[in-house]
Amino acid sequence: MRAEGARPVGKATEEVLRSVLTLLLVLGGTAGLLAALDSAPGCIQGVPRGVRRVKSIEEAERRLRGRLALPAYFPDTLRWPPSAIRVAQDASPAVALAFEGRAGGVEVWLAQTMAGDGPIPPSLLPEATVLGKGTVTVGGEEGTLSRIVGEDGTIWHEIAWRQFGRRLALRGKGPLDQLVRMARSAHREGA
Amino acid sequence: MAGASWVDFVAQGVFHTLVASLVVEALVRLWRVRAPDQRIALRLLALGYPLLVLPAYVFGLPWREGEAFRDAALLAGRRWEEIQVLGVGLFEVFVATFGALGIGLLLMDLVPLVLGRRGGPPRPAPPTSAEGLALVGLVAEVAAAMRRPPPPLVFLEDGPPVLFCAGVRRPSLVASRATLRLLDPAEIRAALAHELGHLERRDPAASWALMAGRIAMAFNPAFQVMARAVARDAEWRADERAAAVLGDRLALASSLLKLYRATEGSPPARGRRNLPFAGALAEPLARARSLDIETRCRRLVEPAAEQLPFGALRVALVAASLSGLLFFVV
Repeated sequence: MRAEGARPVGKATEEVLRSVLTLLLVLGGTAGLLAALDSAPGCIQGVPRGVRRVKSIEEAERRLRGRLALPAYFPDTLRWPPSAIRVAQDASPAVALAFEGRAGGVEVWLAQTMAGDGPIPPSLLPEATVLGKGTVTVGGEEGTLSRIVGEDGTIWHEIAWRQFGRRLALRGKGPLDQLVRMARSAHREGA
Repeated sequence: MAGASWVDFVAQGVFHTLVASLVVEALVRLWRVRAPDQRIALRLLALGYPLLVLPAYVFGLPWREGEAFRDAALLAGRRWEEIQVLGVGLFEVFVATFGALGIGLLLMDLVPLVLGRRGGPPRPAPPTSAEGLALVGLVAEVAAAMRRPPPPLVFLEDGPPVLFCAGVRRPSLVASRATLRLLDPAEIRAALAHELGHLERRDPAASWALMAGRIAMAFNPAFQVMARAVARDAEWRADERAAAVLGDRLALASSLLKLYRATEGSPPARGRRNLPFAGALAEPLARARSLDIETRCRRLVEPAAEQLPFGALRVALVAASLSGLLFFVV
């Protein structure tokens, strides 16, 4: 009698477990689909994980809770405002601005951390291969001048230095003296 | 609230209904939910999210629309704004496309409904002919079997075969002489029991409430589709009720087929129809209607649908899970 009576209880438990498992699978699948939809725009645009594109310098400053350092010298061969602004808000908050040339195509990248000694996250800037390194003085401190090969296979120059209590990097494929002049003109409102 | 606008709320309404509908439809199939009551309860959950839960989130938790929350959200629709097509962000393209689709689906049902009401309601004259009086007797008989008072009968001496219930405050049955001539007594009883099943559940009022919800959610195609599914389930529920009361499933299937064949291709009957979806499917969705009739007949040939165990618990569990999931969709 006991065994016969136990059978429906076992069936009911099995039914409940199966239903709960089905619900969890459906919810898990839906959550996965939503997460995929959320990351799709970044994947399509080639923006790495953990990096967000924002619309304006003001939005980047609002998200990073600080003013950005910008070059006072801005050659008229470049277009203002930046064509892309990437923000990393993880352990070491940082931002990268891309400036297009008058003929189109990105010609200058300006990246900077917001505070501390942490490095600029590599995901903010396009990949590059360093060919050689030298030194350059910017803001009264010695910085690094690198000769690199960009993703497009052309030669770029990159100046990396510390100023305003943060790390900055200016990468460009135009004339080197123009890049140095831009780096030396960097200023930050309120600094 | 930076960046949040009515477009964000519209987009969230659409996405929430879409996600809730997908989850509910997957569960209806995987759990094999066949009882119409349970299907309606689950599908009403999907309809409730944009009408009740989303406004509660938007007005009760405004910080949910902020940038910090959007960065942590499972899906932030605005992220698609970054991809531009001809200078317009895909987010705006999605919202405009979904909005147009929703309005199109609503108009497909609303326009025939409005046109069908142009002639005004049938005059609520009580039947005087012998056939009409006989029908009053049949209505009383079926109502007694359902343990409810018989509703007033509006008998149409001429016109095509019609049989439907109407009226929100004072519901009544509308039937025509042609219906009596078309159906045999068992089929008439079954069809009357179906209509009384609608009145028993106050379906005329419920279907108007559903239509009001559809108009409020005109931009929301998932809402339009789910509302139609609920209306179909309401028909199925009335079928099951009629079959349970009279015990003759085949007579109801036969009456459905005969009425469908007699009215197929003809314009909707003049008069007040308080089940807008039944009338709305008549013209622009003729094929869908024939499929609906076929599905209903197939179900009537099969044994009655069984209730799933723990029905209320399942609905509560789905509601709680969806609330949690959709909280992170902005």
